[in-house]
Amino acid sequence: MSFHEKSAWLMSIVLTVCGLSYFQKVYSFSLAAGELIGPSLPLLSRFTIGIVVAAIIGHIIIAVTSPKEAEQEPDEREKSIFDKAGNLSGYVLGFGAITGVLHFAMQGNGNVLFYIVFGSLLASQICEYILQIMYYRGRI
Amino acid sequence: MAKLLPIANNVRELREQHGLTQGELGEKVKVTRQTVAAIEQRRYSPSLETAFRIADVFGTGIEKVFYWER
Repeated sequence: MSFHEKSAWLMSIVLTVCGLSYFQKVYSFSLAAGELIGPSLPLLSRFTIGIVVAAIIGHIIIAVTSPKEAEQEPDEREKSIFDKAGNLSGYVLGFGAITGVLHFAMQGNGNVLFYIVFGSLLASQICEYILQIMYYRGRI
Repeated sequence: MAKLLPIANNVRELREQHGLTQGELGEKVKVTRQTVAAIEQRRYSPSLETAFRIADVFGTGIEKVFYWER
């Protein structure tokens, strides 16, 4: 497994765990409040710091276990994998953003717009890493 | 099994004849070991430049290494 494939595995797991944890907290706080809570800076900060710290630690571990591969630039196949995965995952974000805007146009709830767009961004990133893994393992 | 790409090759045979590992061939043609493996398994068709580099490592023409399989 190349460094970049390991990185894709790591980031897909980190984003999934942190994303689920974030939305689980939003859900439980909203249940307690009786309505959808607005975007919370402390929650978002914890989410962001969690991702950054886990990504840094994970990449250090991957790099230490295979230092030679970690220094390699992505080759032509990997670049094409990144392009294809990035292109397809962009549709997820696009779909989410349009859905969010349409929902906002009809309901006028900015909090829902935020969570739809934020969730789509997260889903699109996770989708990008999963597609990368699929292309690494399949044909391209 | 996934459908193979139409460009077949003799990379594995030629590499073994020349006593090279996938990693060594990858270093010579500036791709990763995983990409060499993908080329050998017909999961990836290399760029023309890489195909020429591979043929050059084996000291042969590109048509001896890669061919179209109908």
